[in-house]
Amino acid sequence: MHAAAKLIQPSENEPAHSSIQDRVAALRELLHRKYPTPELRETGILPTSFEAFDGSQGGLKQGAVTEVVGPTSSGSLFIEIMLRVLGREQAFGALVQAGASFNPQDVSSAALRRLLWVRCSQPLTAVKAVDLLLRDGNLRVLLLDLQFAPQRELQRIPASTWHRFQRLIEASGMVFVILSSRPMIEGAKTRIVIRQRWSLGAMRQRRRGLMQTSAPQVFDRRDFAALLADEKRSA
Amino acid sequence: MFAVLLLPQFRLQAVLRFRETIPNCLLAVTDEDGRICELTAAASEQGVRADMPAVQGLARCSSLQLLPRAKTTEQVLQHALLELADSLSPEIESTGEGCCTLDLRRAPATDWNSWSETVLKRAEALELKVALGVAPNPDLAFLAARRADAFLVVQAPTAFLAQLAVTEIDPPPYLQALLRDWGIHTLGQFTSLPRGELADRLGPEMDRLWQRASGQTERLLRLVRPAEEFAESYEFEHEVETIEPLLFLLRRFLDQLTLRLGSAHRVAARMVLTLTLDDGKAHQHVFTIPTPTADSDVLFRVLHTHLEDLRLIAHPTALRLQIEPVHPDHQQLRFFESPLRDPNRFGETLARLGALVGAENVGVVELEDSHRPDAFRLVAPQFHQFAPTVDHDEECLAIGLPLRRYRPHLPATVRVVRQQPVEIQSSEVSGRVVDLLGPYRASGEWWECEQWGVEEWDVEIEGRGLYRLHQEPSGWFIDGCYDAELR
Repeated sequence: MHAAAKLIQPSENEPAHSSIQDRVAALRELLHRKYPTPELRETGILPTSFEAFDGSQGGLKQGAVTEVVGPTSSGSLFIEIMLRVLGREQAFGALVQAGASFNPQDVSSAALRRLLWVRCSQPLTAVKAVDLLLRDGNLRVLLLDLQFAPQRELQRIPASTWHRFQRLIEASGMVFVILSSRPMIEGAKTRIVIRQRWSLGAMRQRRRGLMQTSAPQVFDRRDFAALLADEKRSA
Repeated sequence: MFAVLLLPQFRLQAVLRFRETIPNCLLAVTDEDGRICELTAAASEQGVRADMPAVQGLARCSSLQLLPRAKTTEQVLQHALLELADSLSPEIESTGEGCCTLDLRRAPATDWNSWSETVLKRAEALELKVALGVAPNPDLAFLAARRADAFLVVQAPTAFLAQLAVTEIDPPPYLQALLRDWGIHTLGQFTSLPRGELADRLGPEMDRLWQRASGQTERLLRLVRPAEEFAESYEFEHEVETIEPLLFLLRRFLDQLTLRLGSAHRVAARMVLTLTLDDGKAHQHVFTIPTPTADSDVLFRVLHTHLEDLRLIAHPTALRLQIEPVHPDHQQLRFFESPLRDPNRFGETLARLGALVGAENVGVVELEDSHRPDAFRLVAPQFHQFAPTVDHDEECLAIGLPLRRYRPHLPATVRVVRQQPVEIQSSEVSGRVVDLLGPYRASGEWWECEQWGVEEWDVEIEGRGLYRLHQEPSGWFIDGCYDAELR
């Protein structure tokens, strides 16, 4: 603290403005030196093979929270996309659901063998289950499905939970996707918004085609302000 | 050479195993008849003797602590002793309680003193207080083990035997009394008597005794092969109310068992934990170790996770842990597969998830061989044993949106016009049907008593989304939604 206080004191010869900037930079450097932060592992990208979902970054970020926002069809289609990714990568994943809306009969048995399904009655229980799986760090992909959870129960989850998850995911390097019906994860690095609504005609189309035409919008953390403005305009 | 591994005061050792005792404690072990069978030196100094009734022992020493024999622990000790012996020689004999004889004649000539020290260190690691005797024949080795503080190697049998009392070779009482009357007290004095004349006057029994006293007996060992049983047990004096004493003991059990596994070149594939409860019942749980290991930390974490979430209706009074061993599996890591980083840790996480949400709510889906809607079961994942396969892209053929199911399905009131639903009312969704597909009829198991049949419709409800309905004899239900904006 003494060193920091000394650094902020401007000397008489220097112009005050530049001096403060330099000293703030020096203070930052000093703090960084004294309290070094661990190297973040937000380097890996897991492509989904669907260009529209991959966005400009080329896939889902590993070691970062991704939020998929949209109607129920967005969640179910995204779960299928991730099952295909698991099959392609020969990896394993988990689906933690608040409620148990997943219909396994829609998916091939080969894909199901790579998926651990955790059915929780409450969103808070689902959050605890996710916490265990993130700390475990054995799985490559973790999906938390909150689309069927009542809004008032979702509001009971402290906002700090998502920041804690972000810290955990940085350490494990997993792909962590939260499926929600409206934006709620402040710490999400990427938000995929799907506004596509379907008519009964979709029930006669190939599912792969539906995935390609679901027109997701991928927002990086920096674009969230634009997204919010867009939301307000549409509201 | 032969060696004898002897556990002095075997019953006392069994009772005191995993028990913290104060030095010079006044303690005696009683048998089923209530007689003292073994006791500590401090108790002996107070005038308590073996074979004395427990009441008499208490009369001589009021602060004497009496403990019953721990027969299960005695078996465990005997087994551990045999395992130790088996790791030293292929030819071993279970000579008696807490006593084991090894045939070392095929062992390469070695420094028996350093060999003995090594054996004692291994016994110490297994928490066995062993006396070791090494001698040219089994009986002599037994005498050496009885006389040994820690170990005794008999290089000169005649000199060793000469100083021993006659009682050491357990003569019949009448011969012992006769020799005492003759003034013969040591084996040296006894063997100085002419063998032939003794045999002529006192019969073949005296001849055999003379042979033993001179260290000339030769006998064949009754060879045994110890079963691969890795178990430890403990009986509490009082009921246990918290998990700490259990965890403390389990940690010590595992330290011992993993050492034994290591010396047998085995790893633990399954663990069976049995808690005997004070209501006479028992709680038993079998743990399958995803990646068999002899790492006590890993095994302890598995037990710790289970005990943390365990709720019992009665208090445990005894504890037993058994390990089922397998040969270690050496396999190369797969190059193109992304296996679990730590399968054992994943196993623990599954156990924790099971405790959190119920074991029936965690697992991998296994579809049932039926067309019945929602027919599946959850099974424990076996990701660590996953056979690498080429996953064919079966979903390419899938048509339509995946369903999001309501479990249980929602009862609905449906207005039907011309055998088609036109309006729906339910707790979740209500409205006019603007478009529909169906009916899709399915039925099955009509040859069983659990026959089923459904008539399904995919409907678009005005302003709400796409849903699936089904009709059965009891009425209409909403199965789930394909696409809906949840409110």
